[in-house]
Amino acid sequence: MSRATCSRRKFVALGGVAAAAALAGCSSQTDSDTSATGSMPVKGDATADDVVNLQIFAANSLEKALPDVESLYTEQTGVTFADTQYKGSGDLVEQMRGGAPVDILITASAGTMDDAAEDGLIDDDTRKDMFTNELVIVRAMGSDVKVDSLEDVASVEGNIAIGEPGAVPAGKYANQALASAGLYSNVEGEDGKYASSIADRVVEADKVGTAAQYVATGDCTIGFVYSSDVYRYDGIEIAYTCPAESHQPIVYPGAVAASSKQAKAAEEFLDFCMTNEDALGVWAEYGFELA
Amino acid sequence: MMINAVPTAMYRWARGLACVLLALALVCAGAAACLAPMPAWAEVESGAEEGSALDADSGLGVIGFTRYQRGAARPVAGEDVGYRFPLPAGANLVALNTPEHLLVYVAPEAAESLELDLADPASAQAVFELVATLDDEASHGGGRMSDEAGSKSLVVTSDPSVSVGAYTYIFFIEAGGRAYCAVQPAGLAAGAAPTEAAEAMGLDLGEGAGWCDGGTLVSAEDVAPAVEPGPFDRFLSSISHVDLSPLWVSLKTSFTALAITFVLGLLAAWRTMGTSSRLKGLLDSVFTIPMVLPPTVCGFLLLLLFGRATPVGRWLIEHGVSLVFTWEAAVISAVVVSFPLMYRTALGAFESLDAAMLDAARTLGWSEGRIFRRLMMPLAWPSIAAGTVLAFARAMGEFGCTLFFAGNYAGVTQTIPIAIYFEWMSGNTDVAIFWVVVVIALSFAVVLLINLYAARSQRYRMRGGIARGRARRRAPGVVASEGDRGGVVGADEDAEAGGDVLRIDREALRELLGEPAGGSGAGRHAADDASAHPKGGR
Repeated sequence: MSRATCSRRKFVALGGVAAAAALAGCSSQTDSDTSATGSMPVKGDATADDVVNLQIFAANSLEKALPDVESLYTEQTGVTFADTQYKGSGDLVEQMRGGAPVDILITASAGTMDDAAEDGLIDDDTRKDMFTNELVIVRAMGSDVKVDSLEDVASVEGNIAIGEPGAVPAGKYANQALASAGLYSNVEGEDGKYASSIADRVVEADKVGTAAQYVATGDCTIGFVYSSDVYRYDGIEIAYTCPAESHQPIVYPGAVAASSKQAKAAEEFLDFCMTNEDALGVWAEYGFELA
Repeated sequence: MMINAVPTAMYRWARGLACVLLALALVCAGAAACLAPMPAWAEVESGAEEGSALDADSGLGVIGFTRYQRGAARPVAGEDVGYRFPLPAGANLVALNTPEHLLVYVAPEAAESLELDLADPASAQAVFELVATLDDEASHGGGRMSDEAGSKSLVVTSDPSVSVGAYTYIFFIEAGGRAYCAVQPAGLAAGAAPTEAAEAMGLDLGEGAGWCDGGTLVSAEDVAPAVEPGPFDRFLSSISHVDLSPLWVSLKTSFTALAITFVLGLLAAWRTMGTSSRLKGLLDSVFTIPMVLPPTVCGFLLLLLFGRATPVGRWLIEHGVSLVFTWEAAVISAVVVSFPLMYRTALGAFESLDAAMLDAARTLGWSEGRIFRRLMMPLAWPSIAAGTVLAFARAMGEFGCTLFFAGNYAGVTQTIPIAIYFEWMSGNTDVAIFWVVVVIALSFAVVLLINLYAARSQRYRMRGGIARGRARRRAPGVVASEGDRGGVVGADEDAEAGGDVLRIDREALRELLGEPAGGSGAGRHAADDASAHPKGGR
C-alpha cells in the first residue's frame, strides 16, 4: 500500500518535471535556432537598425506574382521577406486571429478585409485598394466544353470547382454570379443552396488555386477562378468570362497589420507595389490590373 | 562470430541500398515520362532562352519576348499616357490584341536593318507567325493570337500609331525613361490628358485592348536555337531549383521531437506500469488518445490552447509563451502524435517482462531506478528500438497537426509532407514528385533499419544462448574457486562472452530465492554467481 502511494506521488512529481523540461527545452531551442538559421518569422523586437524582414499574408491568387515583386524590392532596398503565406483570404484573417505575426495583409475581397478591420487586426489608415481582377470559368486546356453564359453551367457535364465561400472570396463571387443566373439561392454568395441541377456536382476548394488545380488535373470539368489564376497554372484555359455586373466588383485591398512592429517599412513596400514601374510590369504580366 | 557478422551486415546493407536505388530509378523514370515535351509551331523553332524563337526560312528571330495580360490606367511618373502596357527593354516589336484587329508593330529602324518589307504579305505573315508562336507559349491558358487570327483581321505595320473606332493605339511612347504601348481615345486634342478625356467620354480604355506582347525582332542568326534536352536532363533542370529546406526542417523537427518523445514515452510507460489499475486505465487512455484522434483535432486543440483566441492562450502569450506558427509548434505537434507510439510499444514490452524477475531483483535490494536501467531497458530494448523507429516515422510524416498549429512557413515549419501538398496545390507537380521520391527513399531506409536491427537483435539472442551454454560447461571450474570469491573471475569472463544481463538465469534466480537469505550476499555478484553456477547439483 505504502509503495503504491509512494509511486503515485513520484509519478506526479515526474510529470511536473517532464513538463518543465519540455518547456525549458522549447525556450532554449528558440534561442539556438534563431541564431542558427536566422529565418524565423518576424516576431517583433525589430529596431530601426535591424535588417527589415517583412511577413506578408497575401491572397492565394498572388502566389506567383508577389514573389517576383518581393525579389525586385529586395534587390533595390535590401529589405527581406519571411516566407509569405498564400491562402484563402478568410483563412489568412483566421490565422491572424490565431496570433500569427504579420506585417502586411492583402486579401482578395473587401469583405475579408472588413472582417480584419472589425477585429482590429489591421491599421485602417493604411488600407487601400490595390488590384482588380476578373471572374472566369475555366476548363482543362484543349477540352471541348462550351460555356457561353452563366446559365450554361447547369448543362455542363461533370464536376464544378468553386472556392469555399466562407474562406475563399473567389467562391463567394462565383456564387453571386451563379445566383444571377438562378443557380444559387443567396445573392450575397454565402449561406445559400445550389440549384438541384448542379448541387451534387459542386466541389468546394479551400483556396482559389485548389479550384484551378482541380480543373487542371481533370477532377472537375469547369471551375470558377480569377483570370489571373489562369496565367499562373498550366493546363487550364478560359472558357467564359463572367460579366462584371454578375458579381460584386473584385478588388484586392492591402493594409499594414495593426500588430506590425515595422509598420513604416511595411507601408513603404505597399507603396512600392503600386507605384514602381518594374513592379507594375510584373502585375501586368500576371494579369492584375491596378485599382 | 563477430568477424563473420560484419560482412553479412554489409552485404545486406548493399542489397538494401541496391533495392532503394532501383526503386528511385523507377520512380524517376516515371516522373520524367510525365513531363513529355510540348509540341512546337510547325516552322518556327523555339530558342534556347525563354521568350526567344527563330524562323530559319525567313531569317527572322525574336528575343526577350514578354506577354502582358493586363495594363494599367495609372499615370507614369505623373504623366498621363492613357491605358498603358509596359514594354520589355529594347523592344522593337509590339503585338496588341484589340476587339477587331490583331495589330503587330515593327519599329521602322528594325524593319530597315533587317531589310524587311512589311507590305509583302509573306514577310508580314512570317513576323506574325513568330509572334503567334511566342504568344502561345506565354499565354498560360489565356487567349491565343493564333486562335484570335481566325476571327480578327491582321495588321502588320511600321506606323507609330493606328486608330480603330473609338481608340488610338500608340505602339511606342516614352515616359519616365521607359517604353510603353498605350491606348488612348481617338481624335484626342493635342496636350489633352487621355485618361481624363476617356472618362469624360464614358470610354473604358481597358476595353480597347485585351493583351499586349513586346519583344525584340532580330536576325535568325542572333537567336541561339534550343537544344532539346533528354528526359533526364529535363527532370534534373526542373528539380535543380528545388529548395531543400523542407528536408532539413523535417529532419531537425523529427529528431528533436524523437528525443523528447523517447524520454517522455519511456518514463510514462515505466511509471504507468507501477500505478494501480484504475489510475492506470485513466493514464493509459490519456497517453494513447492522440493516436486515436485525427491529427487535425490535436492541432486544433493545441491552437486553442496556445492561440490568441482563448483566454488560456492569451494568458500564455502575455507571459512569453508564444508558440503558434513557430518551429517549436512543429516540434510539439510531432511529439504529440508520435508519443503514443513510443509509449504503447514501451509499455507492451515492459509488461511482457516476467514480473517475478523484477520482484527478484527487488528482493536483492536493487532500487527501482536501477531495475529500470539495468534490467527492464536492456531486456525490452528490441521492442523499444522498433517503437523508436515507428515514432520517428510518425513524427516525420506528421501533416494535419503541424499544418494547424505551426502553419506552412518555408524554411521554418514547412516539412516534407506539407511541402508535397502545397507544391502540388500551387501547380509545381515536378517538385511534389521530387519530394515524394525523397520520402519513399527515406521510408525504405527506415524499414531496412528495422529489419537489420531485428536481425541483429536475434543474433544477439543467439550469441547469448551460446554464452550461457559455455558458462554451464565451465561450471565445475567455477565451483572449485567459489569459496574464496573466485566468482568475480567468472563474471568477467562471462561479461566478455555475452554481457551480464543475459546471465540472470531465471531458473537460477528462482533457486536462489528458495535458499536462506544468508547464502546470497548482496547485489550483483550473487546473481552473477548464481547463473554461472547453477546450484542444486543436477
